Amino acid sequence: MIWLTWRQHRKQAFFTVLALAALAAMLVPIGLSMRHTFSDLGLADCARQLADTNVTAATREACDAGFRRFGNQYSSLNLVAVLLVSLPVLVGLFWGAPLVAREVEHGTHRFVWTQGVGRTRWALVKFGLVGAAVLVLAAVYGLGMSWWVDPLTQAAYEGRLGMIVFDLQGIAPIGYTLFAVALGIFAGTMWKRMLPAMGITLAGFIGVRAAVEILARPHYQPARTQTFPIEGEGPPEVSRGDWILTQGVRNPDGTMIAEDTRIQCPPGGKAPDGRVCGAELGLEPGAYNWQLYQPADRFWLFQGIETGIFVALALLLLYLAVRRVRRIA
Amino acid sequence: MDMVLEADRLGKRYGSTWALRDCSLHLPAGRIAALVGPNGAGKSTLLHLAVGLLKPTEGTVRVFGRSPYGDTDGLADIGFVAQDTPLYRDFTASELVIAGGKLNKRWDAGLARKRLAQLGIPPDKPVGKLSGGQRAQVALALALAKQPRLLLLDEPVASLDPLARREFLQSLMGSVAESGTTVLLSSHLLADLERVCDYLIVLNASQVQLTGAVDDLVAEHRQLVGPRHDGGVIGGVTAVIRASHTDRQTTLLVRTDGPVTDPAWTIREVSLEDVVLAYLADGTTQTSHSEWGVAA
Repeated sequence: MIWLTWRQHRKQAFFTVLALAALAAMLVPIGLSMRHTFSDLGLADCARQLADTNVTAATREACDAGFRRFGNQYSSLNLVAVLLVSLPVLVGLFWGAPLVAREVEHGTHRFVWTQGVGRTRWALVKFGLVGAAVLVLAAVYGLGMSWWVDPLTQAAYEGRLGMIVFDLQGIAPIGYTLFAVALGIFAGTMWKRMLPAMGITLAGFIGVRAAVEILARPHYQPARTQTFPIEGEGPPEVSRGDWILTQGVRNPDGTMIAEDTRIQCPPGGKAPDGRVCGAELGLEPGAYNWQLYQPADRFWLFQGIETGIFVALALLLLYLAVRRVRRIA
Repeated sequence: MDMVLEADRLGKRYGSTWALRDCSLHLPAGRIAALVGPNGAGKSTLLHLAVGLLKPTEGTVRVFGRSPYGDTDGLADIGFVAQDTPLYRDFTASELVIAGGKLNKRWDAGLARKRLAQLGIPPDKPVGKLSGGQRAQVALALALAKQPRLLLLDEPVASLDPLARREFLQSLMGSVAESGTTVLLSSHLLADLERVCDYLIVLNASQVQLTGAVDDLVAEHRQLVGPRHDGGVIGGVTAVIRASHTDRQTTLLVRTDGPVTDPAWTIREVSLEDVVLAYLADGTTQTSHSEWGVAA
């Protein structure tokens, strides 16, 4: 079975490794130059200093300037990062979907399932080997991406918990890739043709990923709230890397006056026409900024939960696929 | 007699259509059996049930006394060549022989290689690039290398040209004659199999119409020609399979259990093909008339 699996998929494996190598050849130089600039601007120290709440205003300004410079140079790479997020689903499309669907489409399942190896064993060995190969692939991809995207995330205000960047690094890509492959295999056992199976895989993957990302992820842990006055020295003391879910300005009685914004005025500041800061919005004295957020130090907890969800889904799909295989003729 | 394949009220339903229903038959050991029926009669379904690819919806099927669905150990005794002889097209014939060895406990790679060498099949060419006849031979060689006690072939010659058909059947007969393997091969054309089979199963519209040894079937059936007949009992006749009438004359194809003594009838012997066609013509058209909403 192992020999057969290798013989059947060696060409595919070769091209996958080739594609990964090409990707690495493209991304590693960019990553190196990015890291070079990052350390030249002294941003590694900045990131450490800014994590400390007692940072002086001068350091903060100098560092922010550095991050801005870095951002100006490399922020377009965030678009590349968006493209890289799609890699797991490609693995699902080209490794998962054809695994059973191709056999059935070519009728070869009637050859291989009527040899001395039962088809349950066939399915377990095949899914297991392809799953293991994909696991290695995903781990390489996840680690590589963590390394590559690290300077970008440190420079971005939102940090590693932000959308897209969270999905690129750590162990979450392993969960996504396994899920994509399992979904592909399962779709192949249900629709039994490669193209429909691939289409269903694509649609299903995007749907589930979006649903988890938008509906579930903000609630993995109860979000924290933070309030701070609208009048004060310097920028508000929000730690870098927090994932802000919602924010706004509230009156002292708690009513939301302006959503998705924050206001910062110097102490006792007045508008040129003499009005109190924010009065044009209908702010009463004592109004404050309010935000709901997930703190940056929950990154690995969230990674674990996210990965757990997708690995569990993958196992469920594989179980269903093995059951389906027994009913295909 | 030793039974290789036994089906008892076997049925398989896909959604609301029965692909096979109420199928009861026995296949004795050592026979070369032809499974004949028009396209869509349920031949492939029956073979898939026999090799355990399908699970019966109702009734039972037993191969060597075992229920084949989900029975991995039983698979070792069954050689199966599916319709259109599916093989991994990018594998070479030689790699397929290796693959077979990895997938089977009992595997005579030497036999397969010898066969393929005799047939002049190139070992290092992907089987997808071989001719249909050569591919069918590779599939047969792989099935035989399992040293099966029952060999099931689903439309093995349907896609072959007449010459390749003859070669395929000849090489098949040559190899099973020595081993005593029971063979069940399907076709929608009796003519393909008439020369090689000694047992016959006729399927039509998902039901078994006729089953038995070829010699018995030919001996039991007669064509009677006589004056117009109103359907009364004829001595020695157990069933009228097909009747056609003109104004004054009636032609019957009947199954007999003894000599027909009524001197009014002229009795003729029939060929196997006459018998099969008579059974196939029977009972196919009733449903479609009602489905189309027209009178029969």
